[in-house]
Amino acid sequence: MASPVVGKKRLSEGLTVTSKVFVRSRNGNASKIVREHYLRNDIPCLSRACQRCGELVAPDANGQLPKFILSPEPLQLKEVGRHYVVVDTNIILQAIDLLENNQIFFDVIVPQTVLDEVRNKSFPIYNRIRTLCQDNEKRFIVFHNEFCEETYVKRLDSESINDRNDRAIRQLCTWYQEHLQSSGINIVLVTNDRLNKESAVKNNITTKNLHEYVELHPNCSELRDLIPTEEFKQREKVEHFFENHYTTSRILGGLKNGTLYQGSVNISSYNFLEGEIKVASLPKPLLLIGSANLNRAFNGDQVVVELLPKSQWKKPSTMIIDDEKLNTNEDPNNEDTQISDRERRLLTQDAIDTQNDSSEVQPTGRVVGIVKRSWRLYVGQIVQNSVSKNTSNSAKSCFVKLMDRTLPRVRIRTRRANELLGQKIVVAIDSWPTTSNHPEGHFVKCLGESESVEAETEALLLEHDVEYRPFSKSVLDCLPPEGHDWVVPKDLEDAEVLRKDPLLPKRKDFRDKLVCSIDPPGCVDIDDALHAQQLPNGNWEVGVHIADVTHFVKPGTPLDAEGASRATSVYLVDKRIDMLPMLLGTDLCSLKPYVERFSFSCIWELDDDANIVNVEFNKSIIKSREAFSYEQAQLRIDDKSQQDDLTKGMRALLRLSKKLKQKRLDAGALNLASPEVKVHMDSETSDPGEVEIKKLFETNSLVEEFMLLANISVARKIYSEYPQTAMLRRHNSPPATNFEKLNDMLRVRKNMAISIESSKALADSLDRCVDPNDEYFNTLLRIMSTRAMTAAEYFSSGSYGYPEFRHYGLAVDIYTHFTSPIRRYCDVVAHRQLAGAIGYEPLDLGHRDKSKMETICKNLNKRHRNAQFAGRASIEYYVGQVMKNNESVETGYVIRVFSNGVVVLVPKFGVESLIKLDDLTSHVESVNFEEDKYQLTFTTQDGKHQRTVAVFDQVKVEVKSILDQSVGKRKAQLVLL
Amino acid sequence: MDGRRWNELRRFQCRINTHPNSADGSSFVEQGNSKVVCIVEGPMEPPSRSQLSATEATLNISLNVTPFSSIDRKRRNKNERRIQEIITSLKRTFEQSIITDKYPRTTISITCHVLTLDGGLISAVTNSITLALIDAGIAMYDYISSVSAGFYDNTPLLDLNQLEENDLSYLTIGIVGKSEKLALLILENKIPLDKLEGVLAIAVAGGHRIRDMMDKEVRRHGELRLSKLANK
Repeated sequence: MASPVVGKKRLSEGLTVTSKVFVRSRNGNASKIVREHYLRNDIPCLSRACQRCGELVAPDANGQLPKFILSPEPLQLKEVGRHYVVVDTNIILQAIDLLENNQIFFDVIVPQTVLDEVRNKSFPIYNRIRTLCQDNEKRFIVFHNEFCEETYVKRLDSESINDRNDRAIRQLCTWYQEHLQSSGINIVLVTNDRLNKESAVKNNITTKNLHEYVELHPNCSELRDLIPTEEFKQREKVEHFFENHYTTSRILGGLKNGTLYQGSVNISSYNFLEGEIKVASLPKPLLLIGSANLNRAFNGDQVVVELLPKSQWKKPSTMIIDDEKLNTNEDPNNEDTQISDRERRLLTQDAIDTQNDSSEVQPTGRVVGIVKRSWRLYVGQIVQNSVSKNTSNSAKSCFVKLMDRTLPRVRIRTRRANELLGQKIVVAIDSWPTTSNHPEGHFVKCLGESESVEAETEALLLEHDVEYRPFSKSVLDCLPPEGHDWVVPKDLEDAEVLRKDPLLPKRKDFRDKLVCSIDPPGCVDIDDALHAQQLPNGNWEVGVHIADVTHFVKPGTPLDAEGASRATSVYLVDKRIDMLPMLLGTDLCSLKPYVERFSFSCIWELDDDANIVNVEFNKSIIKSREAFSYEQAQLRIDDKSQQDDLTKGMRALLRLSKKLKQKRLDAGALNLASPEVKVHMDSETSDPGEVEIKKLFETNSLVEEFMLLANISVARKIYSEYPQTAMLRRHNSPPATNFEKLNDMLRVRKNMAISIESSKALADSLDRCVDPNDEYFNTLLRIMSTRAMTAAEYFSSGSYGYPEFRHYGLAVDIYTHFTSPIRRYCDVVAHRQLAGAIGYEPLDLGHRDKSKMETICKNLNKRHRNAQFAGRASIEYYVGQVMKNNESVETGYVIRVFSNGVVVLVPKFGVESLIKLDDLTSHVESVNFEEDKYQLTFTTQDGKHQRTVAVFDQVKVEVKSILDQSVGKRKAQLVLL
Repeated sequence: MDGRRWNELRRFQCRINTHPNSADGSSFVEQGNSKVVCIVEGPMEPPSRSQLSATEATLNISLNVTPFSSIDRKRRNKNERRIQEIITSLKRTFEQSIITDKYPRTTISITCHVLTLDGGLISAVTNSITLALIDAGIAMYDYISSVSAGFYDNTPLLDLNQLEENDLSYLTIGIVGKSEKLALLILENKIPLDKLEGVLAIAVAGGHRIRDMMDKEVRRHGELRLSKLANK
């Protein structure tokens, strides 16, 4: 690569132009890259203290002037006085959490140079700093120093790009310092780069490293812990626990010629030292066994692996290995190998076991590089015995055990270890050097006492990456100014009204239809309402009316962006995290009874056998006559004395829905089960009272059937209009390997089989698997098959071919989500696309762009999954609380057997838990584990009887709830009786 | 972006009568890093009778994108479809703006050489042809000034460079003089209809600015000629 030739020309209008010429050779050919770069002298400093820059502002394309953000009275600190902060790239990359903290770092200038460097290094961090710069609370600005005549620096001949950038940052500091001299505001450069700091001091720029800057604050003791760990003190004897990862070039080469494989690690939830990685070119997943082979990979990381020789291939272990069992006595200040010895012993034993029968070995691999870390903020608890008793105030290392059991413990340095014991804390992970057995992290914040409702809720939201902060002001500004007083305009022809909403005449007036909604009791965000009426020709007109959210959520607004990033509402036992602000979700959009609301209607003409004769989509205005709960609706339908039109309509709906359901089942729709339970809350004390399994009425399936029908109809419509970008949902047929084990268990234990050729075959075979002695067995089997399924996913129609659109579970060829726009973003997109398809309003560009749609879908899928996990975790927590109060003996079912324990599911509470062998018996030597029969035989505690436990066995267990000290998590403890 | 505001043009420089000895009219236009030389010959007797039209002048345009003009050295075929398309649309544009019936039974041949290319190919070529035609003394109704404009993230952008052209959808327009009449409008990809107006508006404003700069250069050159005549 030749050095750049830089030319500079002066223009008459005061703009200066620099032309750069790079000549670099790529695959032998010379290519010439010419860039123009315009320098200008009218970039405002955006400080409110500055008198000169006010004249420089120019409006942007929307006619808005840039706002002057930096406060005229910035924070005053000893030593540096009133000051603005300029941050260096390394600060942003290492301490973005600290920048986001609202106790420190106000009035920050981010140089454009730094922003570009951050973008090249880490895109997520770049996005976070951009958001910081956009909301004005912390007064962050970006100064375009590269385009400013005074701050632009030319790269010198012998200078590296990094050095030039550092110099550019220093130049910026000098410029600001001079610019703001009259107002007496200092500029402090915060950098952790030693060389940069030294040069800055030479240029008379006040410079601090992160430590020094934090120390200047009066409340520094709290903040100090938040500083990320820097380069660790050099140890004299450096011991390497892990092998170095391969270099990038070697990895790229290896991936290209097929010797290395890339995939994302999936750590077994029973054994944190064993991971699996799915590789496209291999039929079975690769096993990664032991910490050396995992080589610092975290659950979910994108890694590159290489295969191990065949002699080292193994079977997935049948042991349950827990972090706490291994690492209890480790001293965080001292790297000791004795633990890994123990770990190794476990592994060797395992290896011996598996080598004896080599029938089912799986290829194993070793991580040689990590492409992308999945690191985020983690919630955990300080491990009690890792805190030294020494009470001096110096920073000490201690371990944090994370809530997620598949992750190793993290070492942090803090001065407040003793204070934080027993609290839920948030930590960020900084690095995992080869010289350390554990990843290094730093403390971010404290959530509160472990087991308190607030801390637990916040922890599980954080842990599942759910955005739960209140909506920002810019989002709330997008709401209609009338607030709760907003009403559907009375006179639809009024000129004033039409001026505000020119699309109003395109709405159909359905206010005369007898519409009602049926929802769970206590539901406030009513998405959908229904009506049915007989047509003169004997057919039925059935309408599904969905809340018209897109009337309020316009594309490109902050409200839309927020909705897209939250993607779904999250339902916890005691709390709902909304996707859209309350005003919309529970009032303006919600199809409440007795008031007029805008809706998006899907009207079918159905014949008596529920075949679709005709379908029509319209934006409309409706007035719901009544909001029923499922139970109320059922009572009303069953009550023979009610003969009004509304009830008759509901009866017709019920009758039609049954036909629809039958058709669906005939087509092979699955009826799966999950151990869902509902926690009753005591309304007075909001203490969880009791647990019950969800009850279903016929009306549940009434609503469900019509929603499915609406979704399918809409999916067809938007797909025909936007074949490349329609927002759809698909459900892959499960890979046969997922059912292998289940089928084998069934064959061995029950002499039954399920077939999985098609969803129809699966549905039928599931119906056949009935154990006459045990009526729950069929449900149990359905639960277990549900787990073997792949998850349904959102996608845009351009990503797959039509045959792959299939929704396996519902047995339809095309499907989308349309009916709950208040709580799902997918539905919002589908609404917009449908509105475009019926010519109501032009579709936003973002929903017509394939790559943008793919980004949206990716986020939707991720958030959707997280929301489900968060919901389940919340139920789990509350069930734990319920069980704390009432211990009882319940029926459970064995669903997995390991060589040293069994997993039991208790349907009544919907909990499953592991019963370790140590708790079953003290006669460990008597244990006989027959893997091919899925059974475990052992001598009972009293030593007199032999007892055999096998998969699918019904067992009596004593359920109680215990507190796991190290994780601070209450979990169900089962004792076999 | 390269440090310009959304509604700012790139550096625009032009010269006319650059090749006084070898052609009837010539010009050189620099728009940012795109540089175009244009040579006009004629009106003259056509080389073959077949091209002749009894009522008006015929236009011959050739466009040569030099192999060294873009990032990679690549020889372009003269008959490349894209070049032919551009030539066709240029021909249509100028057939309308030259008062062709003044020159019956003649041809006007226009040759453009693109020396470096950094976006705005069509607009730079159009501007250079306008100037060269003026230099050749061919009667036209008005200036045709051309500029490109694109659309990014709700913001219209004026005068795109190569980097921006690759990523955005953009249009090129040619404006007749100070009016808002368009002699040329090329849009090769999609811009949503409701945003088009804003994009056109800035393009028209940009075109007017370019016209002013071209006008200045023509007048400067005219005065130079006059002073030379006066000195004789």
